[in-house]
Amino acid sequence: MLEIKELTKVYDDGTVALKNVSFTVPDGEFLVIIGLSGSGKSTLLRCINRLIEPTSGQIIWDGVDITAAGQEDLRRIRRQIGMIFQQFNLVKRHTVLTNVLTGRLGYTSTWRSLLGLWSRDDRERALRNLELVGIADKAHNRADELSGGQQQRVGIARALMQAPRLLLADEPVASLDPATSHSVMKYIEWMNRERGLTVLCSLHFLSLARRYGTRIIALRAGELVFDGRPEEIDDRRFKEIYGEDAIEVEIR
Amino acid sequence: MSERSFYVRWGRYLVLIALAIPLYIWSWRTADINLIDLVQGAPKARPIISDLVRPSLLARERVTLSVSTVVRVPCDGPAPEPPAAEGPTVSLSATCLNARDPLVVSGSGFRPNTPGRLYWRVAGLEGRLRDEPFETDAQGRFTVQTDIPPLLAQQGGVHALDVELKWEAGTLRPSETLRTTVDKMIETVFLALMATTFGGLVAVPLSFLGARNIMPATLWGNTLYVAVRSFFNTARSIEPLILATIFAIWVGFGPFAGVLALSVHTIASLGKLYSEAAENIDPGPIEAIRSTGANEWQVIWYGVVPQIVPPYVSFTVYHWDINVRMSTIIGFVGGGGIGLELQRWINQLQWNSAATAVWAIVLVVSAMDYASAIVRERLV
Amino acid sequence: MERAEHVPQPAPANRRLLAPLLSFVFPGMGHIYAGRRERGMWIAITTATLLGLLWWLELWSLLPALVPFWLWNAWETRTIVFGRRPSTVKLVMSAAIIVYAIGWRVTEIDVQQLAVGASKIRPFVVSLLQPYYVDREVTYAASSAPVQVPCGDVPPPTAGATGGTVVVPTPPCASVGESITVRGQGFPPNVEGELWWENPIGDRARLRSGGQFITFLTDAQGTFEVRVTVPDMVPRQFQETAQLHKVEARYISEVGPWRLTETSALVAQRMGETIAQALMATTWGALFAVPLSFFAARNPMQFHPLALLVYYLARTALNILRAIEPLIMAIVFVVWVGLGPFAGVLALTMHSIAALGKLYSEAIESIDPGPIEAITATGANRVQVVWYAVLPQVLPPFVAFTVYRWDINVRMSTIIGFVGGGGIGFLLQQWIRLTDFRSASAAIWAIALVVTVLDFFSRKVRERFV
Ligand SMILES: Nc1ncnc2c1ncn2[C@@H]1O[C@H](COP(=O)(O)OP(=O)(O)OP(=O)(O)O)[C@@H](O)[C@H]1O
Ligand SMILES: [Mg+2]
Repeated sequence: MLEIKELTKVYDDGTVALKNVSFTVPDGEFLVIIGLSGSGKSTLLRCINRLIEPTSGQIIWDGVDITAAGQEDLRRIRRQIGMIFQQFNLVKRHTVLTNVLTGRLGYTSTWRSLLGLWSRDDRERALRNLELVGIADKAHNRADELSGGQQQRVGIARALMQAPRLLLADEPVASLDPATSHSVMKYIEWMNRERGLTVLCSLHFLSLARRYGTRIIALRAGELVFDGRPEEIDDRRFKEIYGEDAIEVEIR
Repeated sequence: MSERSFYVRWGRYLVLIALAIPLYIWSWRTADINLIDLVQGAPKARPIISDLVRPSLLARERVTLSVSTVVRVPCDGPAPEPPAAEGPTVSLSATCLNARDPLVVSGSGFRPNTPGRLYWRVAGLEGRLRDEPFETDAQGRFTVQTDIPPLLAQQGGVHALDVELKWEAGTLRPSETLRTTVDKMIETVFLALMATTFGGLVAVPLSFLGARNIMPATLWGNTLYVAVRSFFNTARSIEPLILATIFAIWVGFGPFAGVLALSVHTIASLGKLYSEAAENIDPGPIEAIRSTGANEWQVIWYGVVPQIVPPYVSFTVYHWDINVRMSTIIGFVGGGGIGLELQRWINQLQWNSAATAVWAIVLVVSAMDYASAIVRERLV
Repeated sequence: MERAEHVPQPAPANRRLLAPLLSFVFPGMGHIYAGRRERGMWIAITTATLLGLLWWLELWSLLPALVPFWLWNAWETRTIVFGRRPSTVKLVMSAAIIVYAIGWRVTEIDVQQLAVGASKIRPFVVSLLQPYYVDREVTYAASSAPVQVPCGDVPPPTAGATGGTVVVPTPPCASVGESITVRGQGFPPNVEGELWWENPIGDRARLRSGGQFITFLTDAQGTFEVRVTVPDMVPRQFQETAQLHKVEARYISEVGPWRLTETSALVAQRMGETIAQALMATTWGALFAVPLSFFAARNPMQFHPLALLVYYLARTALNILRAIEPLIMAIVFVVWVGLGPFAGVLALTMHSIAALGKLYSEAIESIDPGPIEAITATGANRVQVVWYAVLPQVLPPFVAFTVYRWDINVRMSTIIGFVGGGGIGFLLQQWIRLTDFRSASAAIWAIALVVTVLDFFSRKVRERFV
């Protein structure tokens, strides 16, 4: 169970990105975070694995306070939390395989990883995960030779390598076309359903959120303005979240 | 930008240009622009241009044939017997003479149509005294008239007279100039290579200190950043030639001084390029690697290094190219490479030799330019 | 980089042995045999070049440094016949061993010399912190006494008092290399002074001990006492007979106000010359390069094969000219128009034409045809097309490149004086040669300042234009 308590983030320049956000995520949930651009979705997700240091508040995961963890503990926590990014964030000049293998860095000693001495087990696992996302044949290509959808699947394989219990996905499909978006979302859904991962995923399109989320929370200017089941979002709620002038667009 | 605003903007620059006119007048005067000299000096440049297209590349071996005979000056003893020799013979009108007496030297059996010269070996002195030139006829004979140099009379005794013919024979082989040029061009390229390597090795760690995104935003971090960046800028502004003058005092003349001078300059300019490249890396992959639970070393090795290697290598190759250009002149101040020989040849007005060096420079520099462009293209 | 080559397949067993063997006999052969033609050719060419270098430079003693490359290349063929991709980085690194071994020898690297020569460069480093821009006029007061060197039959005269201050050497005679004590009386209290020696023909030198100049400091009574060694300031053959030398104690009696030195004036004047030279060369260079660049750009020259020929000729000429450093051209122009800044201007102009010509022509080549099409489509005539579609595209890069060139030309004209081409270089070189390091330091800091400032401005201008 993941508990977020009174989380606040103020950036160095004074921007208040999160204001007293509190919610709880039971294990196995597919939680979708929606909200306008700049509402604080990325900040929230990055606070959970402390890529961004929260200003105040607590994040408690299975009884462990992430916000209080020291460097060594934090790394041990991070390796159990997979993360997927909008811009894929692959190391472009490395091969697909190496990119996937970097998911094991938290489990590999420094000198072995600096020399590139991955264990046989890790290599096999990497190839299996690439097969799972359907791009095993690209294992030895350079990452920047792949299409956007393929790159995001590499990102998913990388996250799978961590054998995570929690998956953070920051707008995983915002750079992809609708058809590809669905195929990527289906992998995430599969991880949630078959592997039992808890998923926190921020999305731009409400239709996608409705389709995949088991629960939705909405942020507006850093504040939690909605927390409920997908079907609860009606026209009024929609306007509350996205503003008076917004019209919902469908993505299929 | 609308078309109109473009020209309005440019109109403003025209005003600026008008203001620059006094600056130009001052510059014209200060720089001593003198077009008359340029035209009047043109004849002096003619041999340069014509020799520039005739570099000295190949030469035949030079053969020297020397036949000696003897003369007594002043004539205060018996006339000496000419040494008996086979082959070509030389006969003198007299062998016992006084200062300024006329002397006719004739010979036969020499190589036909070949230039030669008379030399005196004065008794009791080292070296030779140059006298009349001549050329043999189609039958290998010659007659040349001269008179006895007074120096012979001053020294007194029996002096030797050498009749010397020189001609080229044998196969064509690389001229001495060409061999020196090749030697020195090899030195030039290696000089640049060593300097680039040393400079690069020092510049890599320094460049991290000079990168905003890598240095922590603490007081120490900022101080170090500013210090390193200022060093880059100042050291870069001093031409390697000036540095070489200083290093020549330090370690003596020779390529090592050049290597050091170019290294220092390379540290500064590569350091600057490197740190700018390091500042431009994509933070995304670093974030991704960090989120897997990797430690700092792993983040650097998997997130930072792959991103900086291509620009670093490309800048290094580019700088090797620049260093080759610079090392062609670093010899002017005693820093090794082709520069010293080139300057010497020009100062001695040996334009053929200078042309050899210049063409070698053109060849090597263009090749480097081309190669470095290809390598850089392939890297990105 | 090898990605483009064919997808490797495991080779039949006989190749697995033969390929390494062939590459061992001569590098690259096994690669060619195993089907990696291009790689094999490069390896063979590299090996031949390296062997040729060793032969030409007669450096056969470095042959062992070639072994790692030789062995690695043979080993690598195994990777290839087993169908894996060979590592170019490792191969290059093994070749680097021999390359750097040659480089180390050719460039006569001698790290020890750095330590040995350090004492020679110390004064320079110290002077670097004290550029000779300002100084103060000082007046000395001095008092001297005779010293007999060496001791002779006639007893040496005793010192006479000069103006209240007295210097007494004891003993009053000594041989070269012996020590004497110099006492002073009647000096002002607590002043620092220096000791000088004058030989019978009037040559003077400041006394040193252990490489440092000797100074004295008077006490509250205005007296001091220093031990000095009689310096060797007389030709050996005259050292037998007793002669009268002088030891002098002097101190600064008056200090004038700070004033600019002659060096500052010279540096300022020559820096001005440097900047003017660069400006002239850039302007002339740009004026010639603009028309030339149109001939050296591919797209406007494609209308006729003859024009294309002109394009190739122009390109080649620019490339040749660009390869020759301006300093080399300056030597030639010094012969042509005589010593002075004009020769430097001409040399820099030639180089600028070549460099700018290349950059300009590349700017012309990368012009976007879109706007030209659009303006032509409106029914504009040729002049209008050039005015509204071509010029707005090429002017900004032209200006940026020109400003950048000025910046480079200033740097270059700081050294063009080394060969007599005017600017600050000539003086700087003189000062370094004469070990007048404080003046040299003044020049160096002036160069650093001017170049850095210009660098900054040229960067700003370029940012605005591109
Ligand atoms: N490093 C930073 N420094 C200062 N302010 C920041 C920083 N990163 C984000 N912000 C600000 O914090 C607020 C929230 O940003 P955040 O990136 O979390 O929004 P988001 O909901 O992810 O938006 P988007 O949908 O566009 O990705 C914004 O106002 C943004 O400008
Ligand atoms: Mg975001």
